[in-house]
Amino acid sequence: MSTTNINNLILGDDDDEESETEFNPGAYGGSDEEQSDNEHRDTKDGIAPKAEREPAVNGANDSKPRPRDPPSDELKEEDEDEGDLDNGEDDEGEGEDLGNGDDDEEEDEDEDEDDEDAVTGRPRKRRRRGLNQFIEEEAEVDEDDDELEADEDDVAETGFIQDTHPDDNLGPEADQDDRRHRELDRQRQMEASLDAEAAAQRLKERYGRRTTQGLAKGSFVPQNLLMPSVDDPSIWGFQCKPGKEKDVVMAITKKITQRVNGRPLKICSAFERGGPGAPMQGFIFVEAKRKADAEEALTGIADVYVRRQNLVPVKEMPDLLRVKKSKPLEIGAYVRIKRGPYGGDLGMVNEYDENGLDVEVRLVPRLDYGLNEDANRPAQEKRKRNAFAPAPTPVNRPPQRLFNENEAKKRHSRLLQNISTLTGRRFIYDKNTYEDGFLLKNFRKTALETEKVDPKLEEITKLTKTAADGSETLDLETLAHSLRNSAAEGAYVPGDEVEVYQGEQRGIIGRVEGVNGTILRIKVSQGELTGQIVEQPVKGVRKRFKDGDHVKVIGSSRYNGEVGMVLRIKDDRVTVLTDTSMQEITVFSKDLREAAEAGGSDNKSTGFDVQDLVQINATEVGIVIKADQEAVRILDENSSVITRLPSQLQQVEVKKNAVATDRNGSEIRVGDIVREAHGENKSGRILHIHRAHVFVHDRQKIEDAGLWTTRCMNVVTIASKANMTQSSGPDLTKMNPALGGQNGAMAPPPKTVGRDRLIGQLVHIRKGPYKGHKGLVKDTTASSARIELQSKNKIINIEKQDLAVVDKNTNKTIDYNTFANSRGPPRVGGIPGSRIPDSGFSGGRTPALGDAGGRTPAWGASSARTPAWSGAGGGMDSGRTPAWKPSSGAQTSYGGTGGMTSYGGAGNYGTSGGRTPAWSASARTPYGGSDGFASAGSGYDAFATGSRTPYGSAGISRTPAWGGPNSTATTAPTPAARPYDAPTPAISAPTPGGFDNNDGSYTAYGASAPTPGAGFGAGAMDAPTPGYTPGFAKGSNREELKYNRLTAPAAAATPAAGGYDAPTPAAGGPRYAEDDDDE
Amino acid sequence: MVCSIVMTQKQFYNGGCPNCEEIIQLRGSEDAITECTSQLFEGIITLGDPKTSWVAKWLRLSEYVPAVYAVKVNGTLPGEIIDSLENNGIKYVPRDGTEPDEEMA
Repeated sequence: MSTTNINNLILGDDDDEESETEFNPGAYGGSDEEQSDNEHRDTKDGIAPKAEREPAVNGANDSKPRPRDPPSDELKEEDEDEGDLDNGEDDEGEGEDLGNGDDDEEEDEDEDEDDEDAVTGRPRKRRRRGLNQFIEEEAEVDEDDDELEADEDDVAETGFIQDTHPDDNLGPEADQDDRRHRELDRQRQMEASLDAEAAAQRLKERYGRRTTQGLAKGSFVPQNLLMPSVDDPSIWGFQCKPGKEKDVVMAITKKITQRVNGRPLKICSAFERGGPGAPMQGFIFVEAKRKADAEEALTGIADVYVRRQNLVPVKEMPDLLRVKKSKPLEIGAYVRIKRGPYGGDLGMVNEYDENGLDVEVRLVPRLDYGLNEDANRPAQEKRKRNAFAPAPTPVNRPPQRLFNENEAKKRHSRLLQNISTLTGRRFIYDKNTYEDGFLLKNFRKTALETEKVDPKLEEITKLTKTAADGSETLDLETLAHSLRNSAAEGAYVPGDEVEVYQGEQRGIIGRVEGVNGTILRIKVSQGELTGQIVEQPVKGVRKRFKDGDHVKVIGSSRYNGEVGMVLRIKDDRVTVLTDTSMQEITVFSKDLREAAEAGGSDNKSTGFDVQDLVQINATEVGIVIKADQEAVRILDENSSVITRLPSQLQQVEVKKNAVATDRNGSEIRVGDIVREAHGENKSGRILHIHRAHVFVHDRQKIEDAGLWTTRCMNVVTIASKANMTQSSGPDLTKMNPALGGQNGAMAPPPKTVGRDRLIGQLVHIRKGPYKGHKGLVKDTTASSARIELQSKNKIINIEKQDLAVVDKNTNKTIDYNTFANSRGPPRVGGIPGSRIPDSGFSGGRTPALGDAGGRTPAWGASSARTPAWSGAGGGMDSGRTPAWKPSSGAQTSYGGTGGMTSYGGAGNYGTSGGRTPAWSASARTPYGGSDGFASAGSGYDAFATGSRTPYGSAGISRTPAWGGPNSTATTAPTPAARPYDAPTPAISAPTPGGFDNNDGSYTAYGASAPTPGAGFGAGAMDAPTPGYTPGFAKGSNREELKYNRLTAPAAAATPAAGGYDAPTPAAGGPRYAEDDDDE
Repeated sequence: MVCSIVMTQKQFYNGGCPNCEEIIQLRGSEDAITECTSQLFEGIITLGDPKTSWVAKWLRLSEYVPAVYAVKVNGTLPGEIIDSLENNGIKYVPRDGTEPDEEMA
């Protein structure tokens, strides 16, 4: 019977449904059903008292707690119990009980199984319960019969054992051979247990997959069932020194292992989630039941701050251990190098090792081909030097350039190896491999940044292999991988029709209502949710287009700006037929937008136009021959065509009036038609001149947009602008410093005020057909002069070089160059040059200025300068004296001095009639002057001063000053000078006249002038303004002072009389007084 | 990579993996070590008491010996090792961050 049971058990355990249903009736033979069965029986039989029945049940129940290993043991006992019980009863009951017993056991087994396989076990059990009742009621008898039969068949020989089995409960009814039976029983038990073991073995074999051995963890439980609970140990986070996390954990490990024998650490685990860029850098976590344990584990470990701790909430615990799958490397994926000379550079995975660390990356090399290497450096020093040399950093590394075999050969031919492979030529240069110009370099996986690469288009284009036909083999697929997850922000705008293709909302179609970061609010336009607004991360959304839609490429695509019609849509890749080029391009739908405008792509975005002059690098410029969306083709100075990204270029400010010389030395300008001197004899109109290069546009030429370039020296002008004759020669000499040096006069002329000094001069023509003629220079250019001949009424152009200037005074001829260079001589004593006429003019102007009193001093100054002109240093000072006056109001008196003006002509006197008092005096001045001429002396001085005083402060000022020195030192000349001196300002007009006409007086003037200059310099000039005040002081002559004192009132009077200015006396008066006090 | 234990190559060579030596047989085999271990891992854990530790439970390390383990191991086991794991009734948990749910599905 037990065998059956076991067999049945096995069957039952098998997933065979049928066999289970066989057992189903009794399957849930648990307490309640059994009870009900029993009750049922009770009602049926009405014999067995409940009290009697109880023990049976109890017995069965008692048997349960016993060790489960030998199931038959219990089974049998129970069977026997019940068998015994039922013995006195009808067969039916017994059979039923038997079944019950079986099922009881089986259920136990089931439970065991359920323990193992909880998930699958339960539903089955439930189902069974339902069936149970059904079958029980319907086919109770039949089944029981079957069971019985089966039982009887199987365990026919054991039937009597069952019957005669002695039981404690049935003690009184038990047989005599109780012992034997028990023995047998034990034997059977043994057998059964063995059988059970075997069965267990078989079970294990069969279900080994599910019930794993100790090596692996028990059954596989989904992680979400392992969520931490409050019963689990807590996790504390501790701050530690960033970068030291691993060390700390290792130190804890050590601590655990070392103290494991003594007092073990009570922590469950410790871990870190640090790592470069990880958010949990600088933390370690300790899992322990008690905080004190965690702290204890950390005490004595360096780099960890035990005090800075916090408990990790249970909820966040799984996040701590979240493992994000690192992006698998793919061939063709873009990566960024983290460190080293190529740090930050974009690379493309060329090959990688499945498990390994090495990734072969394709890079644009940065080589200098040994240009910066010290060639003389001894070889053995190399390493040493390198050790100290700064590692190439992104700052000082060479620029990215494709590998150039020739350049490498130049210096490092011994480092270069050439390998021909099937795919192309490879080079090994300085231990690195180069293919197709790219560097193939192995990197450790950790040295590569695989996420957040964000390749820029320019980098990609740099890295992109250029196929033999010149087309770029840009692989959209690889781009897709790199770009798909790149921030799509901004790619969506409200109104875009989108489709959700990922996540729970998959299939939703709607319009974007709003964008918030990476979350789109989509108003559903189709399906059940129509009208609702759902929020969806950008990630799972793609734009939706229909075939034939008119779209514009936006975003990071290289076709940015193209407009076209949607041809095909496959997933998120859309093929568009562009309007302009009728090309089919494939772009991501996120880079598309419904186009409002039709037509071509707007090239405006590049900012460059054909024929623009652009700066390629620091030294080179080029001219745009094609301005594309993302690339500008440029014809550079060397006539090679290069392609650059607009961002790499800078517009060069166009110099409209740039000038250069052509091969023949003639001037070329922008707009001139030139022809190539040799070579292809190209011709065209100059668009730009930059340094030594001309950029020329040839309408006949087709290639390169008709543009070509060459050096200026390689072109000849065919037709230049009309200004050629005018400007060719002189401009050249101007431009050429060498020439300028040769012809020294050329440089100074611009400095002369306004006009050429030559103009107006009498010149002698020394060369050419008019040699020997004289004439007046009417006009000049830089190199030639227009001369009005004296002999003929004709004006001719003569080179300046062929002229000699005739000195009007001496009638000597001066070579033009000498004349031009001689700015000194006229100053000293020769021709006063144009200055004198100036003063002459000033004289003429004086009356006018007399009214504007304020300026008069200026005029005074200029007049005063006349002597300054005659004398060098002192003259200057003297000249200034009046200039200072202004502040003291002296000028007014100047104005008053209209007197000066009055010198110009008698009529003026009348005008300044108000000054009558001054007038007589002033009138005398000339007299004085004349007197002075006649007799020098203090008397004169006094007189002169006196006379002048009313005259004007300027006059006064000087006079006494003059007087002082004069009386003592100077003789005739001084007075001689005086009249001049005083007049000079006044007689401005006459002076020039005199100069112009009268050589003698002029010379005399010149001679005399210095003296006053000196006088001034010596005395009064020191403090010019108070000017003459010190002059008085210095003057040792008391009489003078008296005069001065007198003059002061006089001066005061003057303005009073003149009514010109009150200040003057005010200023002058006190000063004199002061002087007096000093004296 | 099977149990994500962290040891030195030498330790693997000399002692094998304390947890899964029966299956991957690392001891004395350079090849097996290169195949079945990875030098790329993140987040190290020292397990003091795997039985009680939730961390161990979460990462399914409860049955393993107390040692140092990694949270994440980059790399994949050779297919035959995975097969043999399966044959031995071990549910292979990829340690490289692959979603285990995907594996189950």
